[in-house]
Amino acid sequence: MKGLFSKEKWKYAFYTVSHPVDGYYEIRHRERGSVAVALALVIIFSLSFSINRISASFIVNDVDPLDVDALTELLAVLMLFLLFCVGNWSITCLMEGEGRLKDIAIAFGYGMIPMIVCFNLGTVVSWAVAQNEEAFYYMIIGVGIAYGLFMILVGIMQVHNYTLGKTLITIFLTFIAMFIIIFIVLLFVDLINQVYGFFFSIYQELIFRM
Amino acid sequence: MKKHNLFVKAAASLIAAAMLTLSFAGTVYAEELPYDTYNYDYRENFVLTPAAYVPNGSVTGQSVGTTDFTEPQDLCVADDGLVYVADTKNNRIVVLNEEMTETVRVIDTFDNNGQADTFNQPYGVCVSENGYLYVADSMNKRIVMLTPEGEFVKIIDNPQSEILEEGFDFIPIKVTVDYADRVYVISRNAFEGILVFESDGTFTGYFGTIEVKITLWEKFWRRIATKEERSKQQLYIPTEFTGMDVDTDGFIYATNIDSDGVQAVRRLNPQGKDVIQKGENENVGGDIRIGTYGDYSGPSEITDVVYRDKGIYSMLDRKRGRIFTYDKEGNLLYIFGGIGSQEGTFTTPVAIEISGDEIIVLDAYYGTIMKFAATQYGSLINQAVGLRYDGDEKDAIGIWQQVLKIDENNELANNGIGKAYLTAGDNKTAMKYLELGMNRKYYSVAWKRYRNEILTENMSFVLTAVLILLGGNFVYKRFIKKKKSSKEGGLL
Repeated sequence: MKGLFSKEKWKYAFYTVSHPVDGYYEIRHRERGSVAVALALVIIFSLSFSINRISASFIVNDVDPLDVDALTELLAVLMLFLLFCVGNWSITCLMEGEGRLKDIAIAFGYGMIPMIVCFNLGTVVSWAVAQNEEAFYYMIIGVGIAYGLFMILVGIMQVHNYTLGKTLITIFLTFIAMFIIIFIVLLFVDLINQVYGFFFSIYQELIFRM
Repeated sequence: MKKHNLFVKAAASLIAAAMLTLSFAGTVYAEELPYDTYNYDYRENFVLTPAAYVPNGSVTGQSVGTTDFTEPQDLCVADDGLVYVADTKNNRIVVLNEEMTETVRVIDTFDNNGQADTFNQPYGVCVSENGYLYVADSMNKRIVMLTPEGEFVKIIDNPQSEILEEGFDFIPIKVTVDYADRVYVISRNAFEGILVFESDGTFTGYFGTIEVKITLWEKFWRRIATKEERSKQQLYIPTEFTGMDVDTDGFIYATNIDSDGVQAVRRLNPQGKDVIQKGENENVGGDIRIGTYGDYSGPSEITDVVYRDKGIYSMLDRKRGRIFTYDKEGNLLYIFGGIGSQEGTFTTPVAIEISGDEIIVLDAYYGTIMKFAATQYGSLINQAVGLRYDGDEKDAIGIWQQVLKIDENNELANNGIGKAYLTAGDNKTAMKYLELGMNRKYYSVAWKRYRNEILTENMSFVLTAVLILLGGNFVYKRFIKKKKSSKEGGLL
């Protein structure tokens, strides 16, 4: 939590954007990053995403405003964040990754900065464009997403001290791990539901017979 | 036991409350009609609308002074207003007067070159522009051409051509005639399209064949199936046409039952090519949102179409008894009708026609003709769409505004008003209406113009600001920086 109010940590997050390789190296080895900042960035990204969906201009925006629920989207993004971090951590633990869970979270969170900037910039730009000029808007959003993904990739590579090939493989395996986690969670929830249903029906039987 | 009772009571009151809300919703929109009137918006959501047409009485055989119709299958309204009913199982054509209050004449026999001849299950009927009556005499396998009074003119039968397969059975069920007296016939089991006969009765070929769509997946399965399996699989044959009408330009509107629910009507040009416009939703197939299970599910089964006026056409769904009305661009204007036994609903609707300002629908099971009259809402939409068809969008604005007063979410109305404001040069108001009408293209045009307006209005401020900045920069460089550097120089 301390990091959230530290000017130095925030400044360092932006330093990471301009110097991803060095930046992530120091996060791993010199404790320059902060999980609180990363989490805040993920939340801000989710909000920017919702704002973009609601208030980007009619010309580029085909989203039904009634479909946008910022809270659900926030939960979804946080869930994805958690899943990715846990999935990546469990894979890299087995593959000689040097990063801690903390470092993975920071690598992911700091990668949100270009996306936050570009989504908000895109929303503003969209108010000015007409049809045939939408390319500007899509370019801004595209650049933001591309750079964000690039940062996450470099982040994972640096904190684990991997080569690029190994990083790509671990990221692929991370997705598989995420699916397995989802599967197990669903299985677990279903089982719990059945057990609950069993006891509930016993309870109902007892109530009706008494 | 006591607790159980309480639970039942609670459930009962909950159901009662739910029913109360439902009935309230009903009174607000349906105005005590036996059916829902609704439409689909830009996002293909189901939106209840005011009724465009309301039931306006019905006609039976007895009410017009003859015996009841038995499974009548087709209707035709001639240019002089007389209504021709193909009373199929009674083997006769009944001609009603314009108001459909009495029978003008009944045609059941005619003089075929000296011999008295009769019909055998006349399925379709049509009156040409020149006033001749054409009857699709299905079981006699012929088209009978008569004068409106029932005098025999000629017979078209037994089409001969090498494109017809061996043993082709000509069972005409629908017939229509264009301005050049070409006869278009839908024959039962003729999947290749509509049969066209020249005015002298020679068969010229098929028209408007519906292409069969085979998906890649089906192709794949056919490829790996053995010959025996393949012979047991269903054949990929096109669907039959179900109904026809001819518009003022001589184009044929033909309906078919589309299993995808995307395109149930075709507008065929003289070459037989489909030139229909499908509108924003890319859909002229009736209902867009459909259930997935039960009797009431599945895409609409369009059985007949009537071309009305100014590019507007209505088509009839026999599955849910609904009438869908589209304009020339394929915009869905309004929907009404339903299955039921109350007046204004159908059991087996088979044919739709337009008689004066009324839409009339033939129900085969009860042998009745239902009449529907336009409400203010419906006739306003008809008028406005007509004006737009003629290119008078400016005149339409007042009518669209009246439509908005009745139904403020009407996208077509918002669109029409927006376009009119755009032509008038009021770009900001145009943007507001065009966004409500979900018209991205014209919204963009309005926004471009409005943006230019803002720029030209504020150009002087912007230029002044730029000038000040440039001047400031110059002053800064020339004097302040110099001073600093001279200071620094002094230090050195």
